[in-house]
Amino acid sequence: MSAATANTNLPRRIIKETQRLLSEPAPGISASPSEENLRYFNVMILGPSQSPYEGGVFKLELFLPEEYPMAAPKVRFLTKIYHPNIDKLGRICLDILKDKWSPALQIRTVLLSIQALLSAPNPDDPLAENIAKHWKTNEQEAVETAREWTRLYASGA
Amino acid sequence: MNVEEVKSRRAASSIELRNMESEDEMLDAWAGTSDGEFQNKEEEEELDALASDDENDGSDYGFDYSNIDDIQPSSRLPQTNFTVLSEKDIRHRQAEAIATITNFLSISPVDAGVLLRYFKWSISKVNDEWFADEERVRANVGLLEKPATSKRKIDKEMTCGICFEGHPFEKMTAPRCGHYFCETCWTGYIHTAINDGPGCLTLRCADPSCGAAVGEDMVLGLVSNEDQQKYTRYLLRSYVEDNRKVKWCPAPGCEYAVEYQPGVGSYDLVCKCGLNFCWNCREEAHRPVDCETVNKWILKNCAESENMNWILANSKPCPKCKRPIEKNQGCMHITCTPPCKHEFCWLCLGAWTDHGERTGGFYACNRYETAKQEGVYDEAERRREMAKNSLERYTHYYERWATNESSRAKALADLQQMQPVQIEKLSDKQCQPVSQLKFVTDAWLQIVECRRVLKWTYAYGYYLPENEHTKRQFFEYSQGEAEAGLERLHQCAEKDLQTFLEGDNPTSSFNDFRTKLAGLTSVTRTYFENLVRALENNLSDVDNLKGAAKSSSSSKASGSSKSRGGRAKGGSSRSGGSSRSWEEATHWSCEHCTYANTTATSSTVCIICQYPRS
Ligand SMILES: [Zn+2]
Ligand SMILES: [Zn+2]
Ligand SMILES: [Zn+2]
Ligand SMILES: [Zn+2]
Ligand SMILES: [Zn+2]
Ligand SMILES: [Zn+2]
Ligand SMILES: [Zn+2]
Repeated sequence: MSAATANTNLPRRIIKETQRLLSEPAPGISASPSEENLRYFNVMILGPSQSPYEGGVFKLELFLPEEYPMAAPKVRFLTKIYHPNIDKLGRICLDILKDKWSPALQIRTVLLSIQALLSAPNPDDPLAENIAKHWKTNEQEAVETAREWTRLYASGA
Repeated sequence: MNVEEVKSRRAASSIELRNMESEDEMLDAWAGTSDGEFQNKEEEEELDALASDDENDGSDYGFDYSNIDDIQPSSRLPQTNFTVLSEKDIRHRQAEAIATITNFLSISPVDAGVLLRYFKWSISKVNDEWFADEERVRANVGLLEKPATSKRKIDKEMTCGICFEGHPFEKMTAPRCGHYFCETCWTGYIHTAINDGPGCLTLRCADPSCGAAVGEDMVLGLVSNEDQQKYTRYLLRSYVEDNRKVKWCPAPGCEYAVEYQPGVGSYDLVCKCGLNFCWNCREEAHRPVDCETVNKWILKNCAESENMNWILANSKPCPKCKRPIEKNQGCMHITCTPPCKHEFCWLCLGAWTDHGERTGGFYACNRYETAKQEGVYDEAERRREMAKNSLERYTHYYERWATNESSRAKALADLQQMQPVQIEKLSDKQCQPVSQLKFVTDAWLQIVECRRVLKWTYAYGYYLPENEHTKRQFFEYSQGEAEAGLERLHQCAEKDLQTFLEGDNPTSSFNDFRTKLAGLTSVTRTYFENLVRALENNLSDVDNLKGAAKSSSSSKASGSSKSRGGRAKGGSSRSGGSSRSWEEATHWSCEHCTYANTTATSSTVCIICQYPRS
C-alpha cells in the first residue's frame, strides 16, 4: 500500500477489513480505499435486480471516523437516487448507521444493508418527505420515477 | 400534567381508581382523601396476594412489609406530603429498592438494578410486570435466566470480533449471553456509551443480534475512574429524572430532590436550601394561583410582544429611515435621531417642510384631520389606541406584581437580619427572654408569605375576565381587604418595632405592642387564608354573596385599582368606602383588631381577639 506512510496509525481492524473487502468482495458491491486517506472509501453498489434501481450503478462515499469501530461509519450516496429513505444530499436513513450501530458490525454489513434498502424502500420511516408521500399515494408512479432517475443518473459509470 | 386535568381527574369516581394498577397512574389522578387511603390498602393487598401465591416456599422470600412501607407513602393521612431528599437519601432509597426486589424476586442485586432502571424505579411496576409475565420481562430487559455455557473456554486464544486481534482467553470477557470480546473493546464500547449520556444505564451487549443487558458490575469493573464517576452520577440522577414522583429542586446549585406523595393540598413546598417552589411546574411557589395562569403570566412578562405593543402605542416609523421614533413631547414636529435628522409631522408623517400656513398652522395638521375624516388613518390609529389600552392594563398589574415581589424580598432580608441580631438587641433593651419574642419573627414570616400571595393575586387579576363583574368585585374586595391588613401589619412590624429597638429603657407599652403585632399577624393570616381559599375555589363563593352585594355602587372601590403593593401611607387606610355596604350585611369589623368577623359565626365577640363588639 503506497499511502501507508500517511496512515501510520491505522488500526489493525481497518487494515483487515480493507483486505477482506478487496479480496472477497460482496456480490454487487465494491469498496476501495482512497490513495490519500485509507479511512475514505469509494463505494459502488449495483442496483438490485427486481428493484427500480436495477441496471444502475450507484456511487457512494464511506468514511471511517476516528472513533470507528465504536462509532458508525459515515456513508452517503453520490449518485442522485429517487428513494424515500435517501435525501437529496445522499444521506441515508438506516438504523445501524445511527442508534443501532454496534462495533461488531463492519463496513461489509453496512453496505449489504444499504443494498437491501434499495430492494425494500420503507416510506413509513422517511428521510425524503416528498418522495415518501409519492410512494404512499401512488407507488406505481413513484417506482416509475425511480426507474427514470436510475436511467438518467445511474447508467454507465 | 396540567391543573385542569388534575381537577377533572380528582373528581373521578373511586371505581376508576380501583382499576388503576400502578402508582404512576395514581399520580395522574392525584387521588383525593379516601382514594389515597384506598390505594395504599389495595397495594398492600396485592403484595399480600403475591406473597401467598407462593405460600409453599413463601418463607424464602422473607418479604418484609415494613420495608415496603419505607418506600411507599408511610402516612395514612390524606395530605400532600413532600420529602426533601439529599444525595445520600437517594442512594439509600436506591439500595433499599434493590434490596426489596432482590428479596422478592430472588434475583441478584445487579439484575434487580437492571429491572428497576428499566421500570423507572417503580417497585410495584417491577412486581406487577414480573409476576404477570416473567419471560417477557426478561426478554425486554435483557436478563437471561441461565448464563450461556461457553464451550470456548478450552480455546487458548480467541479472535475478538471488534478489533480482530487474537487474545488469550483471560483477556476476553462477556455478559451472561456469552458474546466474548476483548476487555479493551468492551471498555471502549462502554466508554462510548457512558459519554453518550444516561442511555448507558440500559446498555445492551455489543453483539448487534443480542439484547442482553450489560449490568453495573461489568461496567464498573472495566472502565476508568472518570467513567465510573459519570456512570454512578447517571445512576443517581435516574432515580430522580426517571421517577415521576421525584424532581430536582430548581434552585441553581441546589442538590436536593423532592419526592411528592399524592394527597390533597397545594403543590407548594420548601426545599432544604430555602427555595419555596411549586412541585408541579417548578416555578417559585404561587399558591393560590394555578400553574397555568402563572406560566402564562411569566411568558407574558418576557414576551417580546409586549415590547411590540409598546412600540406600537408610542412610536411610528420615520418616513425616511423607517426606524421607530418615539414621540416624547406634545409637539407634532418630530426630528428623527441622527444621522437621519429627517423632520416630519407625527400626525400625517409628511415632511415638515410641507407644513405651515397651508396645513393650518404649525400646531395643527389639517392634512391629518381631513385624511382622518376620509377614514384613511382610522385603522392604524385605532390599533395604536387599543395597544395603548391593553398595555396600560398590563402595566397596572405588572407594577403591582413586581412591587410586591420586591417588598417580599426586602421583608425576607429584614427577617434574616432580624433573627440573630435584632432579636437579641430587643431582648436586651426590653428585658425580655428571646423565647418571648417569637411573635416578632412570626409577624415577619407572615409578611413574607403574604407578599408572595399578594403578588400572585395580581397575575390572577390580570386574567380574570373584565366582564365577570361580580367575581371581579368580590376578588378586588378580598384582595383589597387582605392588602390593607398586610400594610397595617408591615407598618407595625417595621416602624413600631423600631421605637422599641431605639429606646433606652424597657417600656411598659411593650406588652401593648406585643398584643397589637400578634393580633395583626393573626388577622392578616385570616384575611389571606380567606383570599387564598376564595381564589382556589375560583371565586365560586361569590354566588352566595350576590344578594348582599346588590347595594354596592362601585366595583372600583377597593383592591387592585387603587392599592400600591408597597408600603401603606397610614394605619387603616381602608375604613369605609363604597364597597363596604354589602359587607356590613354579613360582616362587622372589630374595633380592637380590625378583623372582619362574620355575623354568622359571631355577632357579639371578636373571634380573633375576643373583644366584645362595640
Ligand atoms: Zn450478547
Ligand atoms: Zn477487541
Ligand atoms: Zn433546593
Ligand atoms: Zn405551579
Ligand atoms: Zn429617520
Ligand atoms: Zn402633518
Ligand atoms: Zn378583634
